[in-house]
Amino acid sequence: MKSSVVCIVAVLIAAAFAASYGSAADEAKIVVFNPRGIQPEIRKIPMGTRQPTLDGKTVYIVDTKYPNTKPFVLELFAALKAKYPKTDWVLRDKYAGYMDDDPKLWAEIKQKAAGAIVLLGH
Amino acid sequence: MITQRFKELVTTISYKKGIPNMRITYTPHPITDRPAELCRKYVAGNDPLSGQPMLEQIYAGLTKPLSEEDRKAGFLKRDPRPRLLPADTPDRLMEYFHEQGFTDGNPIILPTERKVAEMLKATSRKPDEWVGQMRPSPPHEAWYYTVEMVAVNAVMAGAKPEYFPTILAIASKGVTSLFSSTSSFARMVVVNGPVVGEIGMNTGIGAMGPFARANSSIGRCWTLISKNLGGSGKPGETFLGSQGNPLSYNNLCFPETEDGLPPGWTPLHVQKGFKKSDSVVSIFSGWSMNDIAWYSPLPNHEVIRGWLEHFFSFGTSQATLVLDPIVAADVAANGFPSKEAYAKWLAEKTGTPGWLYWSQNQNRLKEAKAGVEPYASWLKQGEGAVVPVSRFNRGGRITRNTAFMASKDNNETQTSIEIVVTGGGTNTFWSGGDFGYVGSASVDQWR
Repeated sequence: MKSSVVCIVAVLIAAAFAASYGSAADEAKIVVFNPRGIQPEIRKIPMGTRQPTLDGKTVYIVDTKYPNTKPFVLELFAALKAKYPKTDWVLRDKYAGYMDDDPKLWAEIKQKAAGAIVLLGH
Repeated sequence: MITQRFKELVTTISYKKGIPNMRITYTPHPITDRPAELCRKYVAGNDPLSGQPMLEQIYAGLTKPLSEEDRKAGFLKRDPRPRLLPADTPDRLMEYFHEQGFTDGNPIILPTERKVAEMLKATSRKPDEWVGQMRPSPPHEAWYYTVEMVAVNAVMAGAKPEYFPTILAIASKGVTSLFSSTSSFARMVVVNGPVVGEIGMNTGIGAMGPFARANSSIGRCWTLISKNLGGSGKPGETFLGSQGNPLSYNNLCFPETEDGLPPGWTPLHVQKGFKKSDSVVSIFSGWSMNDIAWYSPLPNHEVIRGWLEHFFSFGTSQATLVLDPIVAADVAANGFPSKEAYAKWLAEKTGTPGWLYWSQNQNRLKEAKAGVEPYASWLKQGEGAVVPVSRFNRGGRITRNTAFMASKDNNETQTSIEIVVTGGGTNTFWSGGDFGYVGSASVDQWR
């Protein structure tokens, strides 16, 4: 009887020790690497000057040609012309696909227009 | 202007392009395939996010004076990037990695200094050597990474150090496995050469499944690299795949069973200009894969031709066939001395389902209806009848997705059909899908 009590106490002590040891191990702090890569710098681009009015100015509407969105582009073009008739609204398709750049068009807009609306997406 | 669903995307892209205060007007979503009457209603209505009249908001965006901040040049703030993270308990670090989006949602191995040092021993390259750059898609910014940064992600993926040169070769291609498009791309990487045996890749039964640590962890690592080193995989900002793709967890990573190739058939890496003794990774991009065995009186090469003719997916003008060695042997025995010969035959003998051809070639449909030949004769067979135009001949319609991703390596093949052989020969199965070849990289250069 005496030996079985001793045995139970020993088991309890061992269990308590194991639990506290495990808890201490869980609490141990470690150092790990940052898994992320290096982001590039972002150079801020000052925004283009705004004109107080677009009367007598030219504004390009640039369609990036996402598939099957032309009806919206045409409706927007018509609505802007109707609401702001003193502005010369020019509708242009961007070169190639919607992910391709069109530096020629951007240069033309810079030279001829007071602003541009670029659209659209899905 | 953009549809309201892409607010997060457009505001973060504007910031990264250096115009954080870009004036944006939103439309309801989606706009594609909406009739003119509905579009007219949208235009006459309000920006769904600001609640302001759409036309007036556009006009104000073009005329409202700039603030002091809008006129400023300089540099914008970025998150700091310490090499090591602050010390913490493993449990809390694991949670932190999940919260930060560093993982694929599954537990990772924490990249301790000891484990990363062990990984780095598997290459002769210096830890601070640049490996490459990667971006989620062409309009996004590229992130840069070193050998050490790739090693960190290799540890996280559960890779053994001996896999590291293969992982570096994949990373060196700079192709994200989480391409940001509203379609949900998948990637595939095929490993060839002596490295396959050296690192214990599974070329046998279940080669494309989760049965070997090398196949699994190398493929998984590509996704972690894409997220952590390539800036990809943040839904709404740098990942837009509407449904996502389950293949993205491990990216179809498997070796070619080179000893299962029929006589005369060359391994993939040799087709791409490497020596047989080279170890090489070859990257593919697509969306989906079918796994098929079709018991019929037709020989396998004819069954595959029939499947290819009617196969339809987002990448409908390119295909990759992954043949079990016993299917490859059947095909070879039916008169195809090489992969190239079979691919050429497939491209020549494969037409296009009428509904697909006419829907992709609206001007041809108009000409057909106006009696212009040969379109008129094709249409006479019915709009659903197969049209004798192959989708798989190079020089025809260029595949859509090549423009969507990293530039393709020089790959002057006659068709857009690739053939790879893998598997354990337990049955006459073959897989076919819309994957296209992107490029290859030497593993040996990263040893």
